[in-house]
Amino acid sequence: MLVYLLRRILLMVPTLFGITLVVFVVMAAAPGGLSVQSLVDGSNLEPETRRALEDYYNRLYGLDQPAPVQYLRWLNNISPIGFERTADGSLGPFSLWKGPDLGTSFRYGRPVIDLLAERLPITLLLNLLSIPLIYAVSIAIGVQAARARGGRFDVGSNIVLLGLWSMPTMLAGVLFIGFFASEQYWRWFPTAGLVRREAVDQTFLPWLAGPQDVLWLVALVALATSLLVWAAVAAPRGLRRAGGAALGAALGFLMAADLQGAAPGLLHGALAVAGAGALGLAAGLPSTALRVALAGAVGVGVGVGLARLAGAEFVQGGYLFDRAWHLVLPVVAMSYGGLAFLAKLTRSSLLENLAADYARTARAKGVDEETVLWRHVFRNSLLPLITVSAGLLPSLLAGSVIIESIFSIDGMGKLAVEAVQTRDRELVLSVTLISGLLTLAGYLLADIAYAIADPRVSYD
Amino acid sequence: MTEVTAPRPWGRQVLAALLRRASARLGLAWIGFLVLIAIFAPLLANTHPLYMVVDGQASSPALARLEALDWLWMGGFGLALVLRLVPGPFVKRFGLWLLGLAGTAALAYGLAAPQTLTVYERYRELEASGRIEALVRAPIPYSPKDYLRDFGDTGIEAPLAASGRTHWLGTEENGADVASRMIHATRVALGIGFIATGIAIVIGIVVGGLMGYFSGVVDMIGMRLVEIFEAIPTLFLLLTFVAFFGRSIYMMMVIIGITSWSGYARFVRAEFLKLRDQDFVQAAVACGLPLPSILFRHMLPNGLAPLLVAASFGVASAILAEATLSFLGLGLVDDPSWGQMLNQAVQSSSFNWWLAVFPGGAIFLTVFAYNLVGEALRDAVDPHTQRGGAA
Repeated sequence: MLVYLLRRILLMVPTLFGITLVVFVVMAAAPGGLSVQSLVDGSNLEPETRRALEDYYNRLYGLDQPAPVQYLRWLNNISPIGFERTADGSLGPFSLWKGPDLGTSFRYGRPVIDLLAERLPITLLLNLLSIPLIYAVSIAIGVQAARARGGRFDVGSNIVLLGLWSMPTMLAGVLFIGFFASEQYWRWFPTAGLVRREAVDQTFLPWLAGPQDVLWLVALVALATSLLVWAAVAAPRGLRRAGGAALGAALGFLMAADLQGAAPGLLHGALAVAGAGALGLAAGLPSTALRVALAGAVGVGVGVGLARLAGAEFVQGGYLFDRAWHLVLPVVAMSYGGLAFLAKLTRSSLLENLAADYARTARAKGVDEETVLWRHVFRNSLLPLITVSAGLLPSLLAGSVIIESIFSIDGMGKLAVEAVQTRDRELVLSVTLISGLLTLAGYLLADIAYAIADPRVSYD
Repeated sequence: MTEVTAPRPWGRQVLAALLRRASARLGLAWIGFLVLIAIFAPLLANTHPLYMVVDGQASSPALARLEALDWLWMGGFGLALVLRLVPGPFVKRFGLWLLGLAGTAALAYGLAAPQTLTVYERYRELEASGRIEALVRAPIPYSPKDYLRDFGDTGIEAPLAASGRTHWLGTEENGADVASRMIHATRVALGIGFIATGIAIVIGIVVGGLMGYFSGVVDMIGMRLVEIFEAIPTLFLLLTFVAFFGRSIYMMMVIIGITSWSGYARFVRAEFLKLRDQDFVQAAVACGLPLPSILFRHMLPNGLAPLLVAASFGVASAILAEATLSFLGLGLVDDPSWGQMLNQAVQSSSFNWWLAVFPGGAIFLTVFAYNLVGEALRDAVDPHTQRGGAA
């Protein structure tokens, strides 16, 4: 295994070279590609000043050299061993300890490594929140769909999932911002960024006015959540649906009242009907896990709402709450596409294994269907999911480009767009390198996870 | 692979299996509808009247102003209609259609010389002055770049909100009609989808075919190449290409094509690895046939099934890629495209739902249609689902 790992990691190096080479060739081959003109252009300067500035940039970044030399110099800079760089741009003596240097961004005038250290955690935060969400929900949906193949849930979820998969991320993002964050409609969520300025100085957890407020809040949230979860687990289906529809209608009415006031109008009716339909359907879901998760989320929301009605006073929302509030829309917009894809994959993988010989043997032994599903079939069905997880990370990184542009989040994706737009050689190459590295690491992790999940696979 | 050897009956089978599914029929119907809209876009939405009589002189400004590209679209449609009646194998007729298209293109670009100066206000002024005796307007009497300057007060208007004019889907920030822009943008979406996927498939077939047929060192190098292209996030590579190579629709087709071939190469490689040891391939090699003949005449038709499925999903993602680029402000500058219209919805200070919902909905429906067709196609060519293993 260790030998295999070492070999894989060594094989990553030429691939990384290839990736940066492709991007570099694209930049260098473009008309007016990598030259000092793109840096100096636009600034209104005297000819001498311009000349001096050009010389300065040329010396600093080596932009007057032929493209292959530029690429080799860049390689030398990022490799941990190589020729040292002196202040005037020429190469110094060979050194084994010079350390990697990603260079300086043309546009920001700051070391690229600092920029990446600022931006990368934000993108990783978005991705690390999305991936578990995607897997949990898609496995729940996929299992339920495969269990009752051809049933109403299967057919319905299939169409809905295909629709979600086809929904462009930017459309979802634009609609979310337009309807749930803009002044004209519901202003429930923040429009941009990841944190409010005020929240930085606030307490970490929400700060309530007094102990009785805390008590009210905890009691009401606990009551609403446990009631709804209990109903989701134990109540008969008809009752659940009726209760869900009633709650949905009430919430829909409140939603309309938030926009147009309490006087009933057309919108109130439409939203009440829509809410009743949505929650009624959700309460009728055959999968208990999905129902409990939904009931828990709705319960917490209703509990907090009731507590505020009862007079619990929030002095400060707190940093945690503020950050979470900023993340809701981006994470949802980022995960629904992958969720749809994975849920479909889970379903087909489970179906294939449920029809396999070993599952039939287990049933013939008298093993009940639940045990067949969870002990025998489920683990085997995970294999394609693990394979796909390798490709999930690059697609999420690509998704974060769009999400970060829409929601004005200063992450890697936005940095990448800015870098290519301003032809920032060092930044483009570094972003390529990092995202390529993350992607290849994803492939490697997937292969290791594959070996853990399936004892038949061995890399020795 | 299936036991059927002749490609034609197999194609028929797949088509029949495809059309049995309601979802595929719906998807194909929407795509067909879009194709018709794209072909007749200048006759559907145009400020220039289709027919008018001024001072006793009949003329058709809309037809006179058709550009070479318009003639090409319509010529291609006419050719397809004619060739449907000609008997012969599909491949041959498709080749004839391509030849005819090339001829039409040569003719259109050689002969069509529309007037370049367009004064949209002229017709409305003529109409107001009462000199027009007979007038047939397009169903949507606004061109995509008709900013209605003569009305003076133009800007963003909600659907059917403008006084004195009918904008079914509202207007965008410069005052142009949204419905008209969407109709003309159909061409961009369809053209990008088909041509970019075509380019990607050709590259994928050649690279994947060589990898699968030769295996060994060629395979090794080829797979590294595929890995490289898969490890760069496609969107990022696209952004780099577009940012550095300028923005024209043809450039975008080529770029989307050369960034998305790796999946096809994988599919073709896997199929060819399976096929290369089969008897008919060995026989072809033993006969001393040239390599292209072995690869493309004998092996390719047998490995086409997974490629067709992938292509259908590929068209969807190419359309999505173009929309994303346009949305990020790296798309076409002047011509309308759905993604660029969606971008306008975020650019303006207030949120105007019609700028988001209609173009966004069009992108969604088109991608959805291609995915529906792709899904149905996958079921249709997959022998496992035909058997329908009961769980």
